[in-house]
Amino acid sequence: MVSRKRTDSAINTLRMIPTKWAIVLVVLLIGYVLLQPRINQWLGWNLPSVASLVGDEKPTTKKEPKPTKEVVSKEKTSEKVSGNVAEKTSEKKSEVAQATTTKTANRTSDSGPKDSAPKNSAPKNSAPKDSAPKDSADDRIHGILKDLGRNRFESPEGLVYGPGSEEGHRLKHIERHLEDQPSRPGPHGVFDGDMKEFLVAIDRAFAMANKGAKGSSKKEDEGAVVYEATFEKPIGFLGGSDGKRRKNPALKKMRVVVRGKSVITAFPVQ
Amino acid sequence: MTSPLIYVESCPICGDGLCRIRICVTNQRLTGLVLCDECEAMWTDPSMQERIESSSSETEPSCPTCNQSLWGEQSHWASIGEVCLLGWFDRVRIAKV
Repeated sequence: MVSRKRTDSAINTLRMIPTKWAIVLVVLLIGYVLLQPRINQWLGWNLPSVASLVGDEKPTTKKEPKPTKEVVSKEKTSEKVSGNVAEKTSEKKSEVAQATTTKTANRTSDSGPKDSAPKNSAPKNSAPKDSAPKDSADDRIHGILKDLGRNRFESPEGLVYGPGSEEGHRLKHIERHLEDQPSRPGPHGVFDGDMKEFLVAIDRAFAMANKGAKGSSKKEDEGAVVYEATFEKPIGFLGGSDGKRRKNPALKKMRVVVRGKSVITAFPVQ
Repeated sequence: MTSPLIYVESCPICGDGLCRIRICVTNQRLTGLVLCDECEAMWTDPSMQERIESSSSETEPSCPTCNQSLWGEQSHWASIGEVCLLGWFDRVRIAKV
């Protein structure tokens, strides 16, 4: 109703103006209608549209604040989401790093005594060659094993870890001794350390038994040789159902079963 | 989920393994033997009187019947049914792991 009254009054005003000036005003009006949005866009001005001047449309200046708030809130939301993703990604990365370097940071590489407290987790590598941490300097598996090819790895003492066992690879097999299996019948020797420390300790036990060191032995059995060496301090604890029943006593001995140069298994024993 | 673990006794050779019943199936012929799951020492039956020899050059235990690896696809740990089939059920222990 109001806009119709305004339009009528504008037409009456035009009737009072001479025809020549009325044509000029109409041309200017059309020019303004066509150019107003572009001028606003080019020069950043905020000229009102003809429709808003007539009253059919609300001025754009009143509309602008709302979308700005929405953009701000969207930006904040996206920041929050991306922040969470970033946090989660970094958490995941650190978890992966922890899994591949289990306990390495807090321990020395010496094969000597470790804390005798039972440990609950160990890295689960799908395939030794693919997932085992490699030393970037010389590409050694777990920092000490030399790649011989065909998925076989040699320790500094000449012990070879290759395909075999129920797990598919001897490294995966001996990895079972990095964690307890309390429900497994009988004893289950658990090494208290990470894979690198375990491999170093196996090498050391093998060398000690070969040299006939005190508390060591070497027994041949049907093509296999069972090496045993006693360390000065505990290297692990007794797990399995026997260990659970006996409250996981600390173990100082390491037993290594070797066929030829190939390690069949190795674990701490009483 | 727990699964039954069938074994005869703890391994007298390595002291840490369990002597379990291993089955090898080749040409529809089933061979059963006792195998330590730790040091891979082998016996012909649960009486564990007779050892199955393997050479030092072998890095995997092999079936005395077909000479294939006992870690091959044709081989597996015995089920209770297979232990019964071999007539060894009264010689084994069963644990839930």
